[in-house]
Amino acid sequence: MKKILIIEDEELLYNLLSKKLITGGYDVSISKDGQKGLDSMKKDIPDLVLLDIIMPNKNGFEVMEEMQKDERLKNIPIIIISNSGQPVEIDKAKNLGAKDWLVKTDFEPLEVIKKVKKQIG
Amino acid sequence: MDDKKRTENLLKMTMEDLEELERYIEELSSFLPLAVCTINPSGVVLVVNSAFQNLTGYREVEIIGEKVDSLFLNKKDFQNLIESKTLKEKTILTRRMTLSKKEGGKIPVNMAISIRRNKEGNFLGHFIALSDISEFEKLKQGLEEKVKERTKNLEEQTQEITQSRVALMNILEDVEKAKEESEEERDKTLAIFENFPEGLLFLDQKNRISSINPGLRNFFELDPEKVIGEKIAELEKESPLNFLVDILGTTSAGAYKKELELKENLILEISTIPVMRVKGKIGTLVILRNITREKTVERLKTEFVSISAHQLRTPLSAVKWTLKMILDGDLGKISEEQHEFFLKTYKSNERMIRLVNDLLNVTRIEEGRFLYNVKSQNIIKIAQEVINSCSVLAKRKKIALKFQEPKSKIPKVKIDTEKINIVIQNLIDNAIRYTKNNGKINISVKYLKDQKNILVSVKDTGIGIPKNQEKRIFKRFFRGVEAIKMETMGTGLGLFIAKNIVEAHGGKIWFESVENKGTTFYFTIPIASATISK
Repeated sequence: MKKILIIEDEELLYNLLSKKLITGGYDVSISKDGQKGLDSMKKDIPDLVLLDIIMPNKNGFEVMEEMQKDERLKNIPIIIISNSGQPVEIDKAKNLGAKDWLVKTDFEPLEVIKKVKKQIG
Repeated sequence: MDDKKRTENLLKMTMEDLEELERYIEELSSFLPLAVCTINPSGVVLVVNSAFQNLTGYREVEIIGEKVDSLFLNKKDFQNLIESKTLKEKTILTRRMTLSKKEGGKIPVNMAISIRRNKEGNFLGHFIALSDISEFEKLKQGLEEKVKERTKNLEEQTQEITQSRVALMNILEDVEKAKEESEEERDKTLAIFENFPEGLLFLDQKNRISSINPGLRNFFELDPEKVIGEKIAELEKESPLNFLVDILGTTSAGAYKKELELKENLILEISTIPVMRVKGKIGTLVILRNITREKTVERLKTEFVSISAHQLRTPLSAVKWTLKMILDGDLGKISEEQHEFFLKTYKSNERMIRLVNDLLNVTRIEEGRFLYNVKSQNIIKIAQEVINSCSVLAKRKKIALKFQEPKSKIPKVKIDTEKINIVIQNLIDNAIRYTKNNGKINISVKYLKDQKNILVSVKDTGIGIPKNQEKRIFKRFFRGVEAIKMETMGTGLGLFIAKNIVEAHGGKIWFESVENKGTTFYFTIPIASATISK
């Protein structure tokens, strides 16, 4: 089973997302802030990270920057799930290794799962 | 000695004296180069000398006994002269006369005439002396002619000189004026250069620093003397102007712009502009603009929008996802009535989401004027992406969403991908929203070669736009009456934003519509977008 790490601070969202992922046949772990997310992925390397941007204790960009510095982490595919989406931010994320950027209000959970499937199957 | 002998001797002596005297007079008379004659009171010639004979051409025998006035051209003149009072008063009177020579020639002579009186004072006649002044007169005439010619020449020359002088004065005036004007311009330019609030630097053709303005010293600690005349390539490493080395390679190209972050609170924008004159490039003007504040504002705006977006969208996405999962049955079974309520709530929430999106777009795009990240793109790819993302929505209403590929290859266009994406998205969204179930939507992309435009069209079989609303359709917040009836969700911002984006790219947007039959929206993007601003 493929492992997905959700790094998201909003409870409702990560609950819904993980529910959908589990139904989709994925193994899910959740971290509620950036630092916890980094710690978690260092312990157990996920197949994909669903990463929020605005979070306490290291935001999404900072998480990506740290992942890039770590050999074990820099190649993990990342999909950003955020509620902002300005071109300058999207460019920055893509340069840090993000494969996609999804705006939460424009995508439903099911569509997020489809994107995950596209990345890692 | 006898008295008789004495008297005879005396007489002989006197005769000898007289003969001597006569001979003397004859000799003198012959010698005299001046033509002299003696006339009696009637004007008859008594005596003439050799010179007189030579001058007149008459021999003694021919002229003696003739009237003297026959020699002159103007006899009357001579007569008047003889009788004139002046002659009687003056000793000698001179007059120019014309002599008629024996062989017919006429020569000018100067005649001197004086009265002869005897011991008792009785009038004996006149002495007349003639001198040939023909040579003199010829000379005089020659001289006169020469003088005349010279005078004419001088006059002409004077005139030329006067004209030249006038012309020269005019030229001097013009030069003075031009000098004044150029000094004025130079002073103006200098004043502008000195007072320009930003930093200015002028490089000469050899990339040496020619001048710097005070504005530049606001950014750097500079000693003008150390810097002026230096070649950029030879600046010391510690020189604050070292960054100019980077622009060296670019001074031959056209205008160039770059941002330079000197310190955290000093960000400069460097522009270089080649300065051209008729004979070619004379140097480069380097402008350093302090854009720290602009950059800060830009950054703050981005942060603000980012946070606002996040704050506004977070509850909306939470509601959206929850409701969707409920509607999909992921959170347990629900009744049909519950389904209906949840669906309405979901749709209402979706409207809120779209409103927030539009508002964020408007704030960020600043009414479409700023284009970010302009790159050469294949517009077909963008269109296809949008169509794909709208397919779910279209399928729900059973609307056939078709993309008509262009027949020939379409050139890339310089566009802001995200913004053009928004335009196409808005147009297709509208088409879907305002077309009833089982309708058709056709999207096409064409290359208009002669107009150098790409034409995108979105054609639907929807409710159409009434004629009286045509003008307001692109205005902010406008929504047609029928549109509102059909779809209560709608912000009225979509077309406003689309129009501003299209026009910022230098294109045009318009539509054709027939009520209840359908609408086609068109927009063009020029191949060479010259009006894109950053």
